[in-house]
Amino acid sequence: MIMEFDLNKLKKRPSYPFETIAVGLAFSPRMESILAEAKKIADACGSKLVLIHVGTKTKEKEKSLGDILFRNNIEERKVKIIWTEGDVVDMILKLCKLNIVDLLILGALEKENIIKFYLGSVARTISRKAKCSVLLMTESSTSEHSKRKVIVNAGTDHLKTIHSINTAFYFAKHIGLKEVTLVHEVHVPALAMAMAESSSAPEVTKIKKDFSEEETNKLHSMISKCDIGSLKINEKIIKGKPGYAIRQYAETKKADLLVINSPDMHLTFFDRIFTHDIEYILADLPCNLLIVHSRV
Amino acid sequence: MSKFTHNDLIILLTAIGVILILSRVIGELGRKFKFPIVMGEIVVGILLGPTVIGTINPEFFEKVFPKDGNVSIAFDGLVNLSVVLLLFVAGLEVQLSLVLKQGKAAISTGFFSMIIPFATGFAAAYYFPTLFGYDTDTRGDIFFAIFLGTALSVSALPVIARILMDMNLFKSSIGMLIIASAMFNDLIAWLIFSFLLAMNSSEGTLGVGYTILYILAFGLFMLTIGKKIIDRSLPWIQTKLSWPGGVLSISIGICLLCAAFTEKINIHAILGAFIAGIAFGDSVHLHEKAREILHQFVTNFFAPLFFVSIGLRVNFFDNFDVMIVGIVLLLAYFGKVVGATFGAYLGGIKIRTAIAVGFGLNARGAMEIILGTIALNAGLISQKIFVALVVMALVTSLTSAPMIRKFYVEKGK
Repeated sequence: MIMEFDLNKLKKRPSYPFETIAVGLAFSPRMESILAEAKKIADACGSKLVLIHVGTKTKEKEKSLGDILFRNNIEERKVKIIWTEGDVVDMILKLCKLNIVDLLILGALEKENIIKFYLGSVARTISRKAKCSVLLMTESSTSEHSKRKVIVNAGTDHLKTIHSINTAFYFAKHIGLKEVTLVHEVHVPALAMAMAESSSAPEVTKIKKDFSEEETNKLHSMISKCDIGSLKINEKIIKGKPGYAIRQYAETKKADLLVINSPDMHLTFFDRIFTHDIEYILADLPCNLLIVHSRV
Repeated sequence: MSKFTHNDLIILLTAIGVILILSRVIGELGRKFKFPIVMGEIVVGILLGPTVIGTINPEFFEKVFPKDGNVSIAFDGLVNLSVVLLLFVAGLEVQLSLVLKQGKAAISTGFFSMIIPFATGFAAAYYFPTLFGYDTDTRGDIFFAIFLGTALSVSALPVIARILMDMNLFKSSIGMLIIASAMFNDLIAWLIFSFLLAMNSSEGTLGVGYTILYILAFGLFMLTIGKKIIDRSLPWIQTKLSWPGGVLSISIGICLLCAAFTEKINIHAILGAFIAGIAFGDSVHLHEKAREILHQFVTNFFAPLFFVSIGLRVNFFDNFDVMIVGIVLLLAYFGKVVGATFGAYLGGIKIRTAIAVGFGLNARGAMEIILGTIALNAGLISQKIFVALVVMALVTSLTSAPMIRKFYVEKGK
């Protein structure tokens, strides 16, 4: 009954503001830096913090967590700490729904070993299935928030994109960023084949130019609908397979955060074999990754 | 074995030169009227072949395009190489990830636009063989029935892509759905056709179980491990070797080796080339420019040789059977349009748009002609059926754009 009530509350809930932020605790060596970053974000966005550990509750773990919270000025009475047991993925997903979590923060390796990747690691499986936005943290950047580079995937043909861009803007403004780069990937399968047999050189040039202009106009139109505020917006149109092209771009530009839409469908093993979109990014994270679940 | 003489070389080079120039001239004329270039190439074949010049001046025809001897063998070799490379570039554009990405609508459309034409073609050929000129009171040949089903279920990605580009629907959701479904159709159709050729091989068959096993094993290997190896090697090939020579030599070399391998294990060279094409084309590292060069190289040199050669072998006038052509056309339209429309509708597309998808996938073009030619060479079909398939391929390609426009573009007005 409680579950049903909470699910209804989740429906059409906007992807921002981040009223509740949850952090998955794995008691790994990087847990402290992830918690410190989570606190900074929660403070900046005025969010409640929920800490979740799925595993046996031991005195050592309790003490270790207490020490970390103390060192990072996180008052235990102000955060909700949930200790539970069971399947890690299922429990975290369930607890996120029950607590109406808006953003789930998880630590993740840049690259999983091949078997773990195909079978599905905890962080990546959650990020494919979650009904809230997920921030996968590969590293805790030591640079000032205001100097961090944020790249947003601005695929203009998707309804979710405008929500992802607005969420990225909300996040950027709250953590004090000055600028955001919107990147639009253009990929037209079978175009080379279509042009090969009966297009003259001027026609080929015109077709390519028209495609490029059309995409630029779409991007401008989308930006005009967003709440930019005082942010400086950079625009970039890149060619290549969706997911892969932006992953490469983020890596080349040494981005601190890449923001993308949540997946449109239930992703399976086959999506990792015949890789597309988000799977290119999850296969080898170029930086921290924010997957915006817009619930549209 | 006789030596390839000075005179043989002159005849071969003249024939190739005439074919390339004439097919370009006629193709460019046809382009003015929005006809697919393959149509011009077929017309050149009909003009140069037994249908026109062979009837008017048989001595000249026999001299330039001899049926036997060294020139004929060399030309056959070139035509076979052309088929292999045409299948390679067709595979280059098949992106399984796009089919997965398009989700339910693409899978449903791809499946039903395959299964319904296959079932109607198979049933017609198996239960009513006399309709296709077979003298039998009993049931038809199972191989012919499977072939006709496969031939009716194939779609021509190059023609479809061109139509969508001309209609400015390429990047639309309907465009992507048609492209993804056509990719699915092509992949399954070529797998079934390879199975059929293997079962019908004059070199001895492997048996149903082994044939299926070999096809699946080769396909799975190339599309998983093979694809990963290609994916890892391409950045090195494209940066460390000469550009674009390096990637051209290596990709075509691998295509030919795969084709040779599948031919060796009796599952026909086309499958090796097609799967090699998919493995290369699906790589994120294949530069768009390299892809364009591969298409240009094959489409403008090998494709004319192949499509003109069709008219050189078959007398289209003598083998034009109105009834067979009519039945093939009827089956082709019914199976594909109904199947694809039903599949798209089930996939959540509105009925008018679903019909537009059906007509979009109905274009058979070059793929049908390649399939028919290989079947004719393998003795699976008669020349009358082959002519009917060529006519069907051209008619469906020509009617596709106006019908999409009727059901889709008008809606937006």
